[in-house]
Amino acid sequence: MAEVSLIDALTMAMSWELEHDPDVVILGEDVGVNGGVFRATAGLQNKFGEDRVMDTPLAEGMIAGVSIGMAAQGMRPIAEIQFMGFIYPTVDQIINHAGRIRNRTRGRLTCPMVLRAPYGGGIHAPEHHSESTEAIFSHMPGVRVVIPSSPARAYGLLLAAIRDPDPVVFLEPKRIYRLHKQNVEDNGKALPLDVCYILREGTDVTVVTWGAMTFETIKAVDQLAKKGISCEVIDLATISPIDYETILESVEKTGRLVIAHEAARSCGVGAEIAAIVAEKGMYDLKGPIRRVTGYDVIMPLFRREMDYMPSVMKVADVIQESMQDG
Amino acid sequence: METIADFEIKYSQFLDPQGKPSKDMPALAKDTDELLDMYRQMTETRIFDAKAINLQRTGKLGTYASCLGHEATHVGLALAMQESDVLAPSYREYGAMFARGVTMAEILLYWGGDERGSDFAGPRNDFPFCVPIATQCLHAAGAAMSFQHRGEKRCAVSINGDGGTSEGAFYEAMNIAGARSLPVVFMIVNNKWAISVPIEMQTATETLAQKAVAAGIPGIQVDGNDIVAVRHWVGKALERGRRGEGPTLIEAVTYRLSDHTTADDSSRYRKKDEVEVAWKVEPLIRMRSYLTDLGIWDDDKEQALLESSAAKVDEAVQTYLNTPKAPVESMFDYMYEELPEFLEEQRDHAMKYGDTNGGDHG
Amino acid sequence: MTTFNLPDLGEGLPEAEIVTWHIKEGDTIKTDQPMVSVETAKAVVEVPSPHSGIVAKLYAQEGDIVATGAALIDFSDGAAAAAAPPPAQSDEPEAQQDDDAATVVGNVPTGGGLIEETAIVGGGRRRKQTRVKATPSVRTEAKRLGIDLKDVQPTGRNGQITSSDLAKFAGSAKSTARPPASREGMAPGRTDSLRGPRRAMAQSMSRTRDEVAACTIFDDADINEWINKRDFTARMLRAMVAGSTAAPGLNGFFDAERLSHQIESRVDIAMAVDTEDGLIVPVIRNVEEKSLDEIRAAVADIKQATISRTVSPQDMVNYTITLSNFGMLAGRYATPLMVPPTIAILGSGKLQHDVVAVMGGIEVHRRIPLSLTFDHRCVTGGDACRFLAAVIKDLEKPE
Repeated sequence: MAEVSLIDALTMAMSWELEHDPDVVILGEDVGVNGGVFRATAGLQNKFGEDRVMDTPLAEGMIAGVSIGMAAQGMRPIAEIQFMGFIYPTVDQIINHAGRIRNRTRGRLTCPMVLRAPYGGGIHAPEHHSESTEAIFSHMPGVRVVIPSSPARAYGLLLAAIRDPDPVVFLEPKRIYRLHKQNVEDNGKALPLDVCYILREGTDVTVVTWGAMTFETIKAVDQLAKKGISCEVIDLATISPIDYETILESVEKTGRLVIAHEAARSCGVGAEIAAIVAEKGMYDLKGPIRRVTGYDVIMPLFRREMDYMPSVMKVADVIQESMQDG
Repeated sequence: METIADFEIKYSQFLDPQGKPSKDMPALAKDTDELLDMYRQMTETRIFDAKAINLQRTGKLGTYASCLGHEATHVGLALAMQESDVLAPSYREYGAMFARGVTMAEILLYWGGDERGSDFAGPRNDFPFCVPIATQCLHAAGAAMSFQHRGEKRCAVSINGDGGTSEGAFYEAMNIAGARSLPVVFMIVNNKWAISVPIEMQTATETLAQKAVAAGIPGIQVDGNDIVAVRHWVGKALERGRRGEGPTLIEAVTYRLSDHTTADDSSRYRKKDEVEVAWKVEPLIRMRSYLTDLGIWDDDKEQALLESSAAKVDEAVQTYLNTPKAPVESMFDYMYEELPEFLEEQRDHAMKYGDTNGGDHG
Repeated sequence: MTTFNLPDLGEGLPEAEIVTWHIKEGDTIKTDQPMVSVETAKAVVEVPSPHSGIVAKLYAQEGDIVATGAALIDFSDGAAAAAAPPPAQSDEPEAQQDDDAATVVGNVPTGGGLIEETAIVGGGRRRKQTRVKATPSVRTEAKRLGIDLKDVQPTGRNGQITSSDLAKFAGSAKSTARPPASREGMAPGRTDSLRGPRRAMAQSMSRTRDEVAACTIFDDADINEWINKRDFTARMLRAMVAGSTAAPGLNGFFDAERLSHQIESRVDIAMAVDTEDGLIVPVIRNVEEKSLDEIRAAVADIKQATISRTVSPQDMVNYTITLSNFGMLAGRYATPLMVPPTIAILGSGKLQHDVVAVMGGIEVHRRIPLSLTFDHRCVTGGDACRFLAAVIKDLEKPE
């Protein structure tokens, strides 16, 4: 067991799979010699060679497209896009091909690829480097979207994503890349996809969140615990497809739902969760479903980014508000 | 200033429009069995194509993209490939796909709106049709990467049109293929028209082959209506790829004798005489002349071939028309390897409304 | 005095070795002037002067290793601190730059500590469906009315309490929950509209007459063997539980619209009580779970509450069967009427000293006359008789 950061956990996971599955390759800009601009692939090219960890020319659409070509011929490529701000040229390939190819060939060809990208704000980066647009991919059938929130889950979920027979967009909340460490055993054990992870059990309010926001949420929840408010915190982890049953079961227990995400409010993934719980859990609710989100504005440059992203106080206030119901 | 880089683009034709052979015909052009087979395949493809258009016009097929005039390019490139190679077509290359074992019925199913048309019984690893223009070039490059990674002597071939050479994906594919010496052949089928946009408006380059220069890979131009040239040079490019010498770009110059698709009316944007001129140099005429000159073809044989082609096409049409719609729940088949639980409810909903196209639509 | 520390020379390198100082103490130097060459693990880096001013002190010699962030050089007064690059400062005080916080842009915060939490894997566990179900609007309304939703009968298709369920419950509560009105003395010759409980009674009994197929069976219970001779109400209540056990169909509700019969396992008995202020019907709940002592205690509580007028609306709603001790003053048998949707009402008449035939003669025994009215739309005579037989059997026990 080693105390590792989230980014180290990712490296560990990729290293494990490179070692145990000869069909796994890594490709992307600066992933080889440089080990990735965030060092996610540090040391991997040295260990496994240039054929397994490839530095590509600068073209995101190309990175996604060739990954699809490789995956369709039986390989398991892990493609890195340097920042989510640069992921958009891949959308053509991911939506038009990766998510579709199994269905449109009736299973003859499949696409077991992973597209990784750091996402989210909070590292004082220049513009375009801080957004959270996971909702684009989560809307598309045929594509999974996974977001880890801790080193242990990063390790287990990335292993699962690599081993999954279908395409996974794996978004890594960069502001918690190195913030915390956790004991993670490098044992090759994957964590299940398509399920939520309950971070805190509670009885008064269900709070669903993911990514770096889990930390603001836990802080808010711990503060509120001192006031006697007992919150159940659920890490969505797999953003698409969503594990509704865990959320609904929790809402059945608490009767209150708050959703916290960094991404912009409108048509964010929180809206989908709210719709499902309104549809299937209405008779358990004591009051309205509430969301704490980023604003529907262009994410401000870093001097103001902390005002854009939901703070501990914003999350706590909304949870407290929900306690007025029922 | 001094010149620090230069390029030249070569052109090849072995069989001229009248079917007269050049002096340096390759060996395959002397193999009469091969010649007859190539002519048969081109003829069958053309008969199929005409029938498909008729099916669309009579409401039995959805929008269909005709391959009229492209037969030599399509059949020729496929015949140069090995079975274990992988093809990444656009959406028009039936002659190539038939040559590789895709059935006529499968093509009809695809344009008839049925996914099973892409579940090729024959070439299991070939890519299906690709509608987003030129995105298939990257798939071919990726496939080539997988062959290279595994040390297999296989090649990938992508096909796109003149319009596709303006897309970013095309450049990106050539670029990585060149940077990594990938075993891929990029076929550009220059049929002079991208729907209504003529080649002159598409790009400033004199040839499309020279776009290879931007990627640092070899590019040549061939007469796309000369099946011998196409087959020969694609063969050479594939050999290069198998030897690890990297990618090649081949521009096959032909003409789109049909509309872009059955939903297009090309008389709106191009002149009749241009089309008439193009008919004079189309691929079947010259091959027929050549075969006749060789003394191995005549009107009777032509008639017999037309009949046998029609019979083959008719059989495929019957298979297609007799294929019942897949059940409504097939929408949910192949959504991920295992259907996620949340989709089970949606599937039940679809099945409840059954096979009524969902009920009345406005 | 301004101290300049060895900056992070990129990629979070922890230290550097001084190779060559290009200036010395006492020199006057300008911003950006070459100041010192240092060697990191990766390369030799030229560090320019950050300030203009006089070099006051050099903290290290050539050949020394300096840690990143450690003091390197002092500039004496007159050195305007040059505009340092905007400190990449996190708002969270606990996050600091630490080790290799590699990034090509921005600053990835570190130093947040060790995570101990272990998460529980969700996994689509099946929902238990045990809690009360109602929309938020119904819940709010219930709260406003002071009604505990657990008491309300849900009729919604998904098991939820609908707003009309709530209204019905509140209505039936209202009709008996109105603050007890004084017995209205009606002056002869005057026409007064019925109000309060009398109004409710008129409406309720009209409904009963309109809807119910009432049928009454009469019988007597011989309580001569009773040890405690005064225990009427508690014994009646217990006997009704016995009756409900023998014939559960009489303990529950009948929905005439849907033609559905809802049998309850809880035996919540409404006791009709005549008070100065009118008839009230407090409910003793879950009699089936109570011992005789507990039943007695509950009856005593009700009596007390009645006297002190503290019987609340909630105490008078949502019962499954009714007991009417009508025979306080007079009346042997009666045809008491239940309020739909309940199905049965047991009436006990005035205690009798009857001449009864016994083996070998005649004796005088204390007997309670019983009248059981049941809704024949959903209960058979046989069921009613079974109920009554069980009641009588329980009542005839000595204790």
